[in-house]
Amino acid sequence: MTGRDYLGEFEHIIVLALLRLEDRAYGVTVRQEIEFRIKREVSIGAVYATLDRLETKGYVKSHRGDPTPERGGRSKRFFRVTAKGVTAVNRTQRALQTMTKGLELIRSYP
Amino acid sequence: MTSHPDLVPPPRIATWLVSLFVLPEEESILGDLLEEFCGLASKSGVRLARRWYWRQSLKTIAHLFGTGFGAAPWSTSAAVVGGFVLGRFLQGLPDKVLSAVTDKYLTYWSAHFQAYLWVLKAMLIEHFVLSMSVGCIVALAAKGREMVATMTLSLVLFGLAVPAYFVLVAEHWLMGEALWWMLFQCAGPFAVVIGGAIVRTRRSAAASSLGRVIRNP
Repeated sequence: MTGRDYLGEFEHIIVLALLRLEDRAYGVTVRQEIEFRIKREVSIGAVYATLDRLETKGYVKSHRGDPTPERGGRSKRFFRVTAKGVTAVNRTQRALQTMTKGLELIRSYP
Repeated sequence: MTSHPDLVPPPRIATWLVSLFVLPEEESILGDLLEEFCGLASKSGVRLARRWYWRQSLKTIAHLFGTGFGAAPWSTSAAVVGGFVLGRFLQGLPDKVLSAVTDKYLTYWSAHFQAYLWVLKAMLIEHFVLSMSVGCIVALAAKGREMVATMTLSLVLFGLAVPAYFVLVAEHWLMGEALWWMLFQCAGPFAVVIGGAIVRTRRSAAASSLGRVIRNP
């Protein structure tokens, strides 16, 4: 197993956002979901850069919706997590749990 | 300014800047920005929405620049190096031509000093136009990453000019003289980016008109 099998921090957050949003996951909703959940302002460029990287790795797949007038005639790009992506997120979660097990992080940082 | 947020368009310059970095297949980024801008304008006001839009646009450009370079580092670097060498070669030519002409017709220039000063001013324009041409050539070579390549080249040129400026100041140049020299040096990198923007805009226009023809044959 190599280091590439694990997701990076932002990749991990993005994949979890996609899993939460299910079939409603596109640029705007993913960005807003992250901002809402972790109170961190992220740029749409960062979201797309990470999604493109995840798609290259085969962890997510995308398809285009129809162009709409309220988006200036531009289509939405919907994303969904692949089986390989689910495996990667599980592996990363397990690694994090293993590493944090026994550490009293919550008590240390009230 | 209208009170109907739905009718307020997002900042045009910001949209144009983002569109320079976005490939036709990535147009959903612009759609996402517009959708969120409209939502924010109706919820929190146009001024806040415009500020948000500018902030998002600049951050997005930074990310697109990074990913654009990372996607094809070698070909982009080759275009940048080629542009740098071409720029150095071309920038020296007008000076040589001017020196040859002034040496040959020294009597004429002595009698028409004003004309000579105009030629020197024309050199400034020539510097700008040549740099812009180099920017266009680099952008043509780096298809799909026009702005990434030209911005990298301009950063390299600017990065070389800054230490040279401090050397000139240290060599007891007058501050004003050195500042003018610096402004002259900055015109080149700026013109390179303009050249890239021209090529990118024309390619985008060609791609969108082709798309319209395909959709409505």
